[in-house]
Amino acid sequence: MSPHGIVVLASFVIAVLLLIVVDRLLRPGLRGLLEDVTALPPATEFYLRAFLLVIVLVVLAAVLGAQHADVKDGAHFMEYVWSVANGLQDVFQNLMIVLLVYAALITVLMASLRRKH
Amino acid sequence: MSNEHYLIVSYFVFALVSLALGVAAYRVLRRPFAAIAEAVAGLRGVMLRRTLALSLALAAVLGFLSVSYVDCNRGYDQIVKDRSLMDEINRQQLQHAGNWIVFAVLAWGFMVVVLLAIWRRKKQQEGSGDQARSGGIH
Repeated sequence: MSPHGIVVLASFVIAVLLLIVVDRLLRPGLRGLLEDVTALPPATEFYLRAFLLVIVLVVLAAVLGAQHADVKDGAHFMEYVWSVANGLQDVFQNLMIVLLVYAALITVLMASLRRKH
Repeated sequence: MSNEHYLIVSYFVFALVSLALGVAAYRVLRRPFAAIAEAVAGLRGVMLRRTLALSLALAAVLGFLSVSYVDCNRGYDQIVKDRSLMDEINRQQLQHAGNWIVFAVLAWGFMVVVLLAIWRRKKQQEGSGDQARSGGIH
């Protein structure tokens, strides 16, 4: 496998692990919150699926579009690490933006539905 | 496969893959969204569902189209010679398709907030109507 292939594969694996961690951390709380606020089970399902879809697409898009620093044959270990880190910057940045927008969305949802209880 | 064939095939294959991403996103959201649309708008919920399908497919195609070979300021011959440029453009097309689908899904998330608020009001009106009727009977 070429050095560039190794870097892309490593970035992809780290991005998938990141996705799993984010999903595992946020999903149970999000489900409880949505069930409490919406009182309509399909709405809970819609927002949970939208959440998963959004984080998967944004992370995969960032991995695809990441600009990896050029790594030559026989490069040192840390050169691979720097190249992967360079690519992961976009992944983390886009994921953070999407999580903030999603948090804003849930805040609007709570503000518009909670006061009617 | 010559570079020119690769350019033609990859362009259309990635256009289809982008569209398929939009359709896949719609299929993930279709069932819960249909239930919400039906609860809010009854039979007219079909229109909302079709709008969701159309908007996600359009977002995917828009993302694909937003990356163009014309923008890289190279002649056709130069583009055909450089296969790594084609791979780069294909990757960018998929990336933009994914990003546009994300924008569309988040926008629909805000739309669903409005739909849920309407549904809640409708339920409250139905509840108060039932109370008034039962009060009238007593």
